[in-house]
Amino acid sequence: MVGKQRLYWALQAGGWLLYALLQVGTSLAANGTISAKRTLFLLGDALLCLCVTHAYRYVLNRRKWLYLAMPRLIPAVLASVVVMGVMLYFLRLPLSMALGFFEGSVAFDVEQILVGTAFYSLIFFLWSVFYFTYHYFERYSKSLKYEASVIEIELNNLRSQLNPHFIFNALNSIRALVDENPAKSKQAINQLSNILRKSLTSDKKGLTKFDDELKIVKDYLGLESIRFEERLKTEFHIHPDSHNFLVPPLMIQTLVENGIKHGISKLKEGGLIQLTTTVEKGCLNIRIRNSGHMVNGTRKSRNGLGIKNTVQRLRLIYGDRSSFRIANENNNFVLTEIIIPPNNAYESINH
Amino acid sequence: MRALIIDDERLARKELAKLLEEHPSIEIVGEAVNADEAYQMINDLNPDLLFLDIQMPDKTGFQLLEMLDSVPLVVFTTAYDEFALKAFEVNALDYLLKPIQAERLAETVAKLAERERARSAGTREGEKKLGLKDQVFVKDGDRCWFVSLSNVRMFESDGNYIKVYFDNNRPMIHKSLNALDEKLDERAFFRASRKHIVNLSWVEGIEPWFNGGLMVKLRGGDKVEVSRRQAAKFKDMMSL
Repeated sequence: MVGKQRLYWALQAGGWLLYALLQVGTSLAANGTISAKRTLFLLGDALLCLCVTHAYRYVLNRRKWLYLAMPRLIPAVLASVVVMGVMLYFLRLPLSMALGFFEGSVAFDVEQILVGTAFYSLIFFLWSVFYFTYHYFERYSKSLKYEASVIEIELNNLRSQLNPHFIFNALNSIRALVDENPAKSKQAINQLSNILRKSLTSDKKGLTKFDDELKIVKDYLGLESIRFEERLKTEFHIHPDSHNFLVPPLMIQTLVENGIKHGISKLKEGGLIQLTTTVEKGCLNIRIRNSGHMVNGTRKSRNGLGIKNTVQRLRLIYGDRSSFRIANENNNFVLTEIIIPPNNAYESINH
Repeated sequence: MRALIIDDERLARKELAKLLEEHPSIEIVGEAVNADEAYQMINDLNPDLLFLDIQMPDKTGFQLLEMLDSVPLVVFTTAYDEFALKAFEVNALDYLLKPIQAERLAETVAKLAERERARSAGTREGEKKLGLKDQVFVKDGDRCWFVSLSNVRMFESDGNYIKVYFDNNRPMIHKSLNALDEKLDERAFFRASRKHIVNLSWVEGIEPWFNGGLMVKLRGGDKVEVSRRQAAKFKDMMSL
């Protein structure tokens, strides 16, 4: 706030001084010389302008003109600059009187009054344009910043959180594995720590490399394979160009987990999780196919939340450039499909 | 105590069995990988105790309990299931969070021994019918109870359901009164009419009623009419 006040006074003082100097310069250019009194008069004139605009600023702030819509603001500004023009014209008279070049016949000549008033009105109009433009841009950037922070907060809330059920089940299997297969249990601890690290740090970055996400998905499925053993089968078909893409962290993992939680884990005999990516028209196509059957309407809210969060995350990050679908492919498989646009499409939002 | 472990994950079963090696009072008589298998094994082996995972494919642990007439002691094992556990009335519940900790398991085993002593005070050997020492599992919407039959004042049929009266609750179970009547020990429970079965230990007073029937007053204030057909039988039972 203090910084703003200082900026205002610097601009006011500097601006009006420049105005006075320009007037002096014009006189010099026209006559080759200028009297001390004339210089003093022009400085006084500038000082009067400063006072009037300061009063004007006081009034417009009191009346909150900065928040007026254009159709109401323009007439108000036009009327006030004319009033200020007239005011200044007459405020100048005592000054010229004091300095001794007041001539009644000239000062009260209608044509003089009109030209003088018009000149000052124009000056004040320019002042207004500058003032309102400055505030308009300031507010615009503020609202942009605000919007960006709102989006960030929202994304943080939506970011994929690891399911505690998964973590504790994984720890439980790992503990049993320590006796049975120590080497495999060490590997499982690494996999779990990769996933935990990712979920703890991913909120700080908007997006992650596809390859990193794929590694997390593989770690995740590795852990679930320990739990489900022969009941979980996995398949990957990854297009080589997929690594050029950035994806929201833990998004694919969440959807794979969803497929396990609502698909495989509900089936006595277990089933298949298949992750396929293709690149079509510059976009990354991610397909997750899992055994199971989705019963519409009866799915419980917790699952619905996962899907809803994913949809919302995609919308916040990519706008309408991405797409999401989940549906029964047939009686035995559920297909989840996401389309991720190329990187440059959202760089502007994230950087 | 003869225990059955029910969990769909092999490693989870193995880990629990290993932890239970420390507790010779608990003998593992079997392991089941899903609710249907468990149901079969419970009927065949008649265990005293179930270690029961809640989340299982096809049918959950709760659904298994609903299938059972008489429910052995139950210890739930779950990784993280606050919703499911909140459904329980605190007194009836014991649960172990996975990964299971040895000390926590020891506490549970101690508690179980105490409960089992209280339960086995009555004779259950060779008896198939449900007596006052048995407990049933009742689930009504989101709430669950393990109810000892000694606390049940009466059963009332309501369409395809039975209302179970105990404490201040009267949840419904999906069963027919006739089927239930066959399973209940006739020395403890009496079929008062087409609509009611009463717990004889709750009877407080008996009054003559119209048409040769009787009106039975239960502790707590509930009144049940005994039909004429059953009244004679009832008098027989209540008199020495």
